[in-house]
Amino acid sequence: MAIYSFWIFDRHCNCIFDREWTLKAKQSSGVVNSKQNEDTAKLLFGMIFSLKSICRKLGNEDVSNEIRTIATGKYRVHVLTTASGLWLVLLTDVQQKNVSEVLHHLYGEIYVPSVAENWLSPIDFAEKEEEKMGQGFRKIQNRYFLRAVEQYLSPMVSR
Amino acid sequence: MATTETKDLSEHQRLQLQFQLFQESLPKVNDVVYRMLLKEMLPLAIAVDKSLSDDEKEDENDKTEQEHRAAEEKLANLSIGYKGTPSHVLIKEYADSDEERRLRIRTKMMKMGYQIGNQVSELLIFSNNPNLNFRDMDLLSVMKFICRDVWKQLFGKQIDNLKTNHRGTFYLFDYDLKLLEGMALNEDALEKELSVLEPYLDIPCGILQGVLASLGYENNVSCQATFVDVPESKAGGFRSFPKGVSFNVLVNVNPTAGGEKTVDAGAKGAGAQSFPV
Repeated sequence: MAIYSFWIFDRHCNCIFDREWTLKAKQSSGVVNSKQNEDTAKLLFGMIFSLKSICRKLGNEDVSNEIRTIATGKYRVHVLTTASGLWLVLLTDVQQKNVSEVLHHLYGEIYVPSVAENWLSPIDFAEKEEEKMGQGFRKIQNRYFLRAVEQYLSPMVSR
Repeated sequence: MATTETKDLSEHQRLQLQFQLFQESLPKVNDVVYRMLLKEMLPLAIAVDKSLSDDEKEDENDKTEQEHRAAEEKLANLSIGYKGTPSHVLIKEYADSDEERRLRIRTKMMKMGYQIGNQVSELLIFSNNPNLNFRDMDLLSVMKFICRDVWKQLFGKQIDNLKTNHRGTFYLFDYDLKLLEGMALNEDALEKELSVLEPYLDIPCGILQGVLASLGYENNVSCQATFVDVPESKAGGFRSFPKGVSFNVLVNVNPTAGGEKTVDAGAKGAGAQSFPV
């Protein structure tokens, strides 16, 4: 399994966390919460958003039809959406079919204890009204979260 | 068959069984919710202090203006949704406030902890635990009771280390205080983090004083908490806080002979003896 990058979007359409690995051989390579990735984040958000609404329209109305993976020729996008409007997005190679357990771990064992149960960290990363329309810039920066994500995902980067 | 079985049990075992049944019959609450409520105590104290000082300011203003504002507030509260300040912003306000206000907030935290401690010992006495004997309890066994049962009840774990000099000075070490679990600011702000989290240490301090007060050590008790380094062997997982906490409890057992006792003060550190909890 090779992981290329990991993203979190909140319910205000803002990217609140991004981590991109650039070198397969070096697990600590790449960027965290980078400014250069802003446009990529918007494109990725747009792609998932459009495919999500297509899925919803094509699905049976009684059951919710949420998107799980999107595969292209080069990579595969895995998405976990929560009821509170959080999207966890993981980009891996095409061979990787199902990483829902990894995404659930990232949400339940890493995001919830280090952001939701951390009283020093904001839970809503859009603090002003004008940041709520996809214009936010605040990122998850707390120590536990960064360390835990690194510890959990790094071994999988080049496996 | 059942009657002979119960006859075989000794009195102590019977009490043990009764205690176990009682524990199982108690209503249970969710651990996560309980922990979050404990953490919410600091924002509560800050918000109460804030609204009190706001009230004082308003008294100087015009009365009509006050009424006008009250009406406006009522209108704003009509809408659905949370209107208050988020908890992390309140905690940030504490970090920026002056010494006097900090002290007020910390006293509030201490008092809330005192109430909890006072009542939790009542609860533990009521539970009829056969391993506890509250009759002729001396100070050391009271402290052991705090380390084992009170901490277990409130934080789900025991105190890691208890030290005393047998003259009323106790050191209680908790290397993984559950209140601080998961608390973290940005990557390189540990110093600031510690100063912001200091009021959280006042809750256990208050609890200690509350329990001691309910068991007869009402006066002459002082308690201070400081951050200490965690020894290698006790280091926990990624969620546990990087610093341990040391509670220094001073109980003046014999206040009338206080003047004479101070001569022994030098032996305090040397005579310290540690107990496995």
